Amino acid sequence: MGQLELAGVSRRFAGVEAVRNLSMTVESGRITGLIGPNGAGKTTVVNLVTGLLKLTSGRIRLDRQDIGERPPHEVARLGIARTFQNIRLLKEASVIDNIVVGFHRSDPTSFVAQTLGLPSVRRTRAGLEQRAHELLRDFAMDEYAQCLAGELSYGHQRRVEIMRALAVDPQVLLLDEPVSGMNDVEAAELGAMFRRFAERELAVLVIEHNMQLVMTLCDELYVLESGELIAHGPPEQVRNDARVVEAYLGGELC
Amino acid sequence: MTSWLSGYGSVLDLVLLNCGLALSQFVVLRAGVFSVATPALASIGAYTAGIVTLRTDAGAGTGLLAAAAMGTAVAVILSVPLARLRGVFQAIATVAFSQIVLSLALYATDLTGGANGLNGIPRLIGTTQLLLWAAAVVYVLICLSRARIGYAFDAIRQDETVAVTLGISAVGHQTLAFALSGAIAGVTGALMAYHNRSVAPEEFGFGMLVTVLAYVVLGGRRSVLGPLAGATLLTLLPELARPLSDNRLIVHGAVLMLVIIYLPHGIVDTLLIAYRRRATAAARASLPIDEVSDGPA
Repeated sequence: MGQLELAGVSRRFAGVEAVRNLSMTVESGRITGLIGPNGAGKTTVVNLVTGLLKLTSGRIRLDRQDIGERPPHEVARLGIARTFQNIRLLKEASVIDNIVVGFHRSDPTSFVAQTLGLPSVRRTRAGLEQRAHELLRDFAMDEYAQCLAGELSYGHQRRVEIMRALAVDPQVLLLDEPVSGMNDVEAAELGAMFRRFAERELAVLVIEHNMQLVMTLCDELYVLESGELIAHGPPEQVRNDARVVEAYLGGELC
Repeated sequence: MTSWLSGYGSVLDLVLLNCGLALSQFVVLRAGVFSVATPALASIGAYTAGIVTLRTDAGAGTGLLAAAAMGTAVAVILSVPLARLRGVFQAIATVAFSQIVLSLALYATDLTGGANGLNGIPRLIGTTQLLLWAAAVVYVLICLSRARIGYAFDAIRQDETVAVTLGISAVGHQTLAFALSGAIAGVTGALMAYHNRSVAPEEFGFGMLVTVLAYVVLGGRRSVLGPLAGATLLTLLPELARPLSDNRLIVHGAVLMLVIIYLPHGIVDTLLIAYRRRATAAARASLPIDEVSDGPA
């Protein structure tokens, strides 16, 4: 389960066609990479899938269900979670609260119970905080639970953002440059973690500039340039594609 | 105790009523809506209660219920066009809404008494009822702020894009915040009518709009205690500064300026943040050294 499918997706901003006739598939249990030079339209694709931007034309389907016209909060509830290229945590809130807010859709307490402060609210909150602590332990960050999110180091903030996305309990996880600004060791650590997500039947889409990571991690790659798909296939095939090499000004691919 | 209370009874009543208005303003700001419709919604509540009681001889209970219903209904209707606006444009739209309500109160003379307002409303409530109302609102808001709805409000206020990508309906929650704000303002307005025994249109004008906003700015807009502290302080300040006679407003303005410059989160929230910093610093100090070194940059 959890197959994301884009068919002939286009998005135009005034005169500029940011994404043109893009078709791609992100399958559960696999890590799919989306790469391309700056300004190729990668983040636009994520914004289109999550409903933050409206499609100019084309279709987006999750498990054959059309989600292209749905507002972003409904898309999220259907099981699509994301992280942001420029980290967007709730900086005034603690690390644990940042993760707990991700559990929004799995909190069943009724409006009346919340208004009257019935005991069920406290029990549910305690349960969600328990789950947040489990996530924090998975990421070896439990001791930071009470810190303000804005005060963490860059690498740790990225991890909190990934945990928050996992709290949504998604079928599809969209990671927009998850290891940018990290050194190779940290990047490899996170890469191993993404592999574990895929093993848990998640469909993972990674947008990344770190070529070494992309080439070793991804099962399948899509290459965008100026909004157009120029190559698609397994990493070893894409690496040797003449158009891809040209797009990256030759020789930069290891 | 009782005699002391009765001596300051009128000031206490005023503080409690202003706390009600401050909490109504607080709810929308907490959910990230820059609305200043509280005075207009309170005036709708005041007129509703006044008219119901004067025309039908109904008791305070009926009047308060009618005021709550009207306040909520108008707020929900208002939230529909406001959902298309953000930030300062919401503020401008709600200022315009307040002017419309004020004009209606002035010109619908048959219903509202026009510039004379409504007079001869029986005094149906006392300090006890005001205290109960303020306590009930504080209780509900504290409960909500610790539940899913409070987390959603906080997320929307800090980053609406993040909130929606986590499955939180921004429009739904902001409508809810408006409904709560309208209900609180409506009932508080009705209590003002029953307490003052009259409703005058100019009470709910631009002056109140600025004052109510100042309560929340001064006290803080995150913790429920913030608006309470702001309303209490700004209501008591003119009383305490009475010897300054005509210079009272200068003190009022100076306090506000100082808080905005030096305590931008408001008094209560600034204290809470400082307390939290110290708590996390203590927690951090107990971590092993190597963990600390790769901590915050």
